[in-house]
Amino acid sequence: MPLFVRRVCAGVMMTGFPNGATLPSGMTVDVFAAAFEASPTPMVVTDPRRDDNPVVWVNGAFLALTGYVREEIYGRNCRMLQGPRTDPTVSRAMREALAAERPFEGEVFNYRKDGTPFWNGMTITPVRDQTGAVLFFFSAQADMTDKHRLEVAMRDANDALERLVGERTADLRSALEEKTALLHEVDHRVKNNLQVISSLMLLKARRTPVGEARDALQGMADRIGALSTAHRMLYSEGDVSRFDFREFTADLIADLAAGLDGDRTRIETEVEALALSAAMAAPLALLIHELATNALRHAFPEERHGRVAIEAHRCEDGMRLVIEDDGVGVEAATPNPSGFGRTLVEMVVRQLRGRLEWSDAGPGTRIAITIPLAEAAL
Amino acid sequence: MSEVSETPLRILVVEDEVLIALELECLLEDLGHVSVGVAGNAADAVSLGRSTAPDLALVDIHLVDGPTGVEVARQLSADPRITVVFMTANAKRIPPDFAGALGVIAKPYSERVVASALDYVARLRAGRAPSSDALDGFHLAPAAGGGAWAGDGI
Repeated sequence: MPLFVRRVCAGVMMTGFPNGATLPSGMTVDVFAAAFEASPTPMVVTDPRRDDNPVVWVNGAFLALTGYVREEIYGRNCRMLQGPRTDPTVSRAMREALAAERPFEGEVFNYRKDGTPFWNGMTITPVRDQTGAVLFFFSAQADMTDKHRLEVAMRDANDALERLVGERTADLRSALEEKTALLHEVDHRVKNNLQVISSLMLLKARRTPVGEARDALQGMADRIGALSTAHRMLYSEGDVSRFDFREFTADLIADLAAGLDGDRTRIETEVEALALSAAMAAPLALLIHELATNALRHAFPEERHGRVAIEAHRCEDGMRLVIEDDGVGVEAATPNPSGFGRTLVEMVVRQLRGRLEWSDAGPGTRIAITIPLAEAAL
Repeated sequence: MSEVSETPLRILVVEDEVLIALELECLLEDLGHVSVGVAGNAADAVSLGRSTAPDLALVDIHLVDGPTGVEVARQLSADPRITVVFMTANAKRIPPDFAGALGVIAKPYSERVVASALDYVARLRAGRAPSSDALDGFHLAPAAGGGAWAGDGI
């Protein structure tokens, strides 16, 4: 198109088009002029050889776009279309391109005769003669106002969306912070209450005469102590849903061992590092406490020496926990009148959906418990 | 229980739960130490600390008047005669500098940990460098050689 335009607008007779292009037969300059006049694309031609590069030709579409009539435009510079909100950097870029005889492409904020503004998207091409001298500038234009409006709408919509996403993110973050604060608060209260309950039991035990009642109170305080160990372990690390079983068992056993005469009885542990679900902490604390305490209390009567071994390993079905002593064995041990400890163990194992096997270790007693673990723990 | 220290410690208990405070006093006496009193709020704690000048103050973070235990620890530990140890279920509130405290015993505590912490303090005050291997659940402040404190529990 610019090739044809060059001929027509330049009004220069040439012997042929570059690249061997030719006018189709029957096509004359008049026909071209008529075609351009009838085009729906606004077009304008200016003459840089005249003072201030005035408009020398426009088509009907240009008149329709700008609202002017030919007499009002011819002889004047196109900047007559600019106004207060025209971006000076864009008009400067256009001016510089024309001064350097380079083509220009851009969108200029222009004004119609009635003052209404519109976005004028344009290409400006220098039209040269055979020597390369610029004869005219040809410009094809388009009303880009709708496109701009759409862009602005899109930008607004995007901004609104981003704002919305920002607000949601802030909401979620504060909800998470609230949840974390709440978790800490609840954790704190649980620990504090366990301490109160334990203190209450121990205070009552201290005021109870030595005997069965006092032993029962002390036993309950010890069980609460075991539960306390579970809670002390929970939430202390980054992951609130799991706990380190090895560290947990070590802490639990250390409390039991603190009350032992180390020369007579001792506890040995061999526990694999396992990250177990927090839900298992309390039942496991009770279970291990009960079995270890039971072994220490009943396996070694009359100053008998011995050891209690606690082992925990991963196995095909989950975790295998073995508590073994080399004491007098189940049959020989003084039976616990209430059997509460054993009942407690059986209940807890059932709660953990585990399997419990008591056997004679010859000497001593061996208790093996298999506890299924969730996949995530393995 | 653990070995009874040769030099009994005079101990101030800063704790707002009366049951815990009472039982703790019994435990301290069982372990051969002496309680100089119990304070449930910050003002009482500081004034009891001034009037009794205990060897050791066991300080809960959360008291009757809010989480004021940290400030109590700061004021009590400003007195060079007083060693401060936090005793709290709220270890996350302990500032990185431990407010001058030597360490923290986490609640719910076991008698074993209290015993080993008191033993550690008694040795330290007697000028016998205690082995930090024997801490056994008692977490030292960074300044006392306890390693970095993330403030996220122990």
